Amino acid sequence: MKQTPDLDRAQQRMMPGELTLHGFLGDDTRKLVDIINEDGDAVLSRGVSHKQIADRLADIMEQGRDIMEREVNVEGRFTVTVRDDRGVLPSPFGDGCFEKGDCHVVDSETKSEFLFNGLTIHMIRTYGFYSGKGSQYRLEPAALIETFGIKPEAEE
Amino acid sequence: MDKILLAIEVLCGISLALTLLLLVAEFFFANYGDCEIDINNGDKKITAKGGGSLLSTLSEDKVFIPSACGGRGSCGFCKCKVDKGGGPVLPTETPYLSEEELKNNVRLSCQIKVKEDIAIRIPEELLSVKEFETTVESITDLTHDIKGVRFKLPEGETVRIKAGQYIQLVAPPYDEVHEPTSRAYSIASRPSDDEAIDLIIRLVPNGIVTTYVFEHLKEGDKAKLVGPFGDFYLRDTDKECIFIAGGSGLAPFRSMLYDMIEKGIKRKTTFFFGAVGLRDLYFVEEFAKLSEEHSWFKFVPALSGKEEGHSYERGLITDVVARSFEKMDNHEGYLCGSPGMIDACVRVLTAGGIPEDQIFYDKFA
Repeated sequence: MKQTPDLDRAQQRMMPGELTLHGFLGDDTRKLVDIINEDGDAVLSRGVSHKQIADRLADIMEQGRDIMEREVNVEGRFTVTVRDDRGVLPSPFGDGCFEKGDCHVVDSETKSEFLFNGLTIHMIRTYGFYSGKGSQYRLEPAALIETFGIKPEAEE
Repeated sequence: MDKILLAIEVLCGISLALTLLLLVAEFFFANYGDCEIDINNGDKKITAKGGGSLLSTLSEDKVFIPSACGGRGSCGFCKCKVDKGGGPVLPTETPYLSEEELKNNVRLSCQIKVKEDIAIRIPEELLSVKEFETTVESITDLTHDIKGVRFKLPEGETVRIKAGQYIQLVAPPYDEVHEPTSRAYSIASRPSDDEAIDLIIRLVPNGIVTTYVFEHLKEGDKAKLVGPFGDFYLRDTDKECIFIAGGSGLAPFRSMLYDMIEKGIKRKTTFFFGAVGLRDLYFVEEFAKLSEEHSWFKFVPALSGKEEGHSYERGLITDVVARSFEKMDNHEGYLCGSPGMIDACVRVLTAGGIPEDQIFYDKFA
């Protein structure tokens, strides 16, 4: 896959101060296509798909939802807090708006933390974009697959 | 070697000539001159220099179409119906337009370049939206993550709002934010307040405007507001009102209640305000006082956390509402809070007997 004009536009909208204060790329200076390709390789080499990862994160977020934003223990392992803010966040890919509000997950076994939201899940599912390195929303595909027990589809 | 150098020089020369040609062409052909924008079949006509987007051209002439992305083509909010001009629909618009909208010439105003006379239609109320250059009169910490900000209107300026409507606060460029950015907030002051507008603002992590308010805005600063917008307001019926708010969602109810008091509206009203702990409550004394002074009004704060040392209702706000009414067959519901809270409350109210078309809320979405 090559960097297309559409990806150029998306990458521009991912810069700090465009759609969100800190943007989506952290201190990652690579082209968007390279970020997507490298994460895509990490996912494919483990025999899973972006859709599986996105579905799992959406499921965790749904289980952790509480209308008063209290901590929820999910699956006896994850401490999940879902913020629910008013308003919407436009996708940098220009394909829709997503409700604001972050899902914060702490894994009690590894103590690792994950931060994502509806837009993050959409970008993983549709584009295989896991945010740039250094972004507070960066999700390492390998860590997601390991922590959330995502198995190759044939094994499921 | 000479031939290679000559070839490079020739290529550079051609590139330079083409660049100059493009610049000259742009100067002559991209100069669209003055274009007329007709709004709502002659209700308002604007003559503006062509070349800009319809959204920005309109806002320069103080006609404001709401947008969540500031005209970056990412939110799909700035829709208008185009009767004449505007060019073909762009691929950047189609993801946001339904088949019905495409058939009816609905377009995204941020994606239309003004190159010719254009005739558009927008909701009539947008023509009364104004821009206000206010001064921050006070900033108050209401909770650990909610501030109340009072914006003083310019001398002689007034804003006509319906209690319950919202207004957009425009944050100027700061730090890495290079463009003015606006976000919507419900108005908390009474409509009769001619001097100032109160907003209640909750900090949103990574939010451009709320971070500006929490970390940069100071008393005495100038601040731009654009509005009012929205159709969340008290309907003219005699039904009993159920108001439900969480977090910063208290704002429109403060405006509505003072408006009811001033207008002598005495519809039986119960206001449920949900929070997790005591640290999340604010304006409790103010509403408790209103409740004492007006027999038709009851204020019910409810805490969902396990905290002791209070006499408020306990439990999720939905459960508190459900157990407060035997039936809700002569009631209207008014909701303001997070989308999740609104969805849950709609379920409770409809289960209680309120038809969905008599439940009103504004998700800003």
